[in-house]
Amino acid sequence: MEYNEKGVSIVPSEFKKEIFEEARKDFRYEEYVRGCLNCGVCTGGCPPHRFFDFSPRIVLQNMKSKDPELIWTMMDEYIWACFQCFTCAMICPFLNSPGGIIAILREIAVRRGFESARKVLKPYSRVLLKLTAYGNQLSPDMIQPDFFPDWGPTIGYASTDLAVKRKAIPMPTLQVTNLAWDVAPETMKELYEIFDESGVFKIIESVDPSLYEIIQDIVDDVRSS
Amino acid sequence: MAENILVVGGGPAGLNAAVMLAELGVNVSLVERDSFLGGNPKKFKYKFLFPDMQPADNVIGELIKKAETGGNIKVYYSSEISDFKENGKKFDVTIKTADKNELKTFDSVIVSTGFEHFDPARDAKYSYQLFDDVIDIKDLERMMGEDNFVRPSNGQPPKNVAFILCVGSRDRHVGNQYCSRVCCTVSVKQAIELREHFPACEVYIFYMDIRTYGFFEDLYWKAMEEHDVQIVKGRIAEITSGPNNTVVCKGEDTLLRGPFEIPFDMVVLASGMEGGPQSSEISKKLGIGLDEHGFLKPENVTLSPFKSNRDGVFLAGACTGPKAISDSITEGAAAAMNAYTYAVKNK
Repeated sequence: MEYNEKGVSIVPSEFKKEIFEEARKDFRYEEYVRGCLNCGVCTGGCPPHRFFDFSPRIVLQNMKSKDPELIWTMMDEYIWACFQCFTCAMICPFLNSPGGIIAILREIAVRRGFESARKVLKPYSRVLLKLTAYGNQLSPDMIQPDFFPDWGPTIGYASTDLAVKRKAIPMPTLQVTNLAWDVAPETMKELYEIFDESGVFKIIESVDPSLYEIIQDIVDDVRSS
Repeated sequence: MAENILVVGGGPAGLNAAVMLAELGVNVSLVERDSFLGGNPKKFKYKFLFPDMQPADNVIGELIKKAETGGNIKVYYSSEISDFKENGKKFDVTIKTADKNELKTFDSVIVSTGFEHFDPARDAKYSYQLFDDVIDIKDLERMMGEDNFVRPSNGQPPKNVAFILCVGSRDRHVGNQYCSRVCCTVSVKQAIELREHFPACEVYIFYMDIRTYGFFEDLYWKAMEEHDVQIVKGRIAEITSGPNNTVVCKGEDTLLRGPFEIPFDMVVLASGMEGGPQSSEISKKLGIGLDEHGFLKPENVTLSPFKSNRDGVFLAGACTGPKAISDSITEGAAAAMNAYTYAVKNK
């Protein structure tokens, strides 16, 4: 959100209009945006509404206003406050989906490499790496105190002696700590194809160029093996 | 020889149609599925009617008395139509009672099969039947009809009560997009009654819109100005259990307070009206149209709202859509006039 010294947005209104049009052209838009009488059921049931200045009713109303300025104001922080639990969509009497609108707007932010998207995705870079390069999600060596504060005081113990603890699991595992499960090179190559075709690699490149480089090195290695 | 006209359903619309036809000298057969006349107002013991708070018995009781004592009306209790055939311009109808089947020929037919109260248990967010103190307007109407205003959970007078509007209406999740028309006014009426009965009890109404149309608006303003009923814009998202045997209403006050969670002693759900299973049953039996809302479909909603798409079969009351009792009574008279004209013309 760039503003000049007078507090006026310096983002050209044409650009804001373009963002709005991109959202409106999304194939899900018609399904997610219907009538709204401001009954507030969505916001009344919204979990993040308890903690943040975030209201699914406002998301839908902004979208229905067709005012590019209002939609632009949500692109920075607002859209990232949503938990994507879709309670709003479950209870809206009109069958609107404010959570779905958030998904559309987030995808635009990620595709276009907005600063807000970069900031939010930064903590997920390790997950993105494991997922896209190895076809894994969470591996034992990712369990480190800094990244899992919500695990409480036992995280310190849980993150030590991983190799031994892994071996102690009373069932066959890979017994390694850098992978959660073994993925065959053929499967990984197929995954890379999917990520190429669907534009996932492109998105990562725009959001986190250095992460993209690390991933591409691994991809090249696997592909040439 | 006098005309023979069949009336199916003995609620306000059917009763008035039967009474008026009888006064014209018509032989009326009134088929009623219950063992009593009066329809839902009688079944659920409505006590006072909006807008003037007159005793329901002045209206329903009066109609029942006329139907039962006026002569010319043969009432079939606990009965239904088991067979329906066209016979030229007339209709051959088998009336099935508890102990026998009776075949009769009628010159015309009035369908006044009414509505069903929406069952709030179908919408899980209201926790109806989960908590004793969550009731709906028909439950409260019956309780008040029995002079029982207290909390179902412990028999104590409530300290605060919430009314929640549009339960089962205007909600695509339950399949009812329409407004049930009367629940706003019924809720406002009951809110006033509660405040009169328990002046210390706080009464809230949570709404999306308040549709006390026409003169019913007087009651709405009265509730606010004379009875200090709190009117809050925001539909309830969830009802859960609260401290000290309360039920908590969770929602967003979209105009003033933002999100709220308020514990109440009692919650009253303004459940709406549905066509009920009887609408589709009678539609199949008589070969008349059913609309997309599950009510019977008039031939022309504006020009002839009391006519079905089948010649000689007429419609009256809440079987064609949510309706106030006064409207049902009016339609009973309109259908009676039309059924009579048809019968006389085709004799």
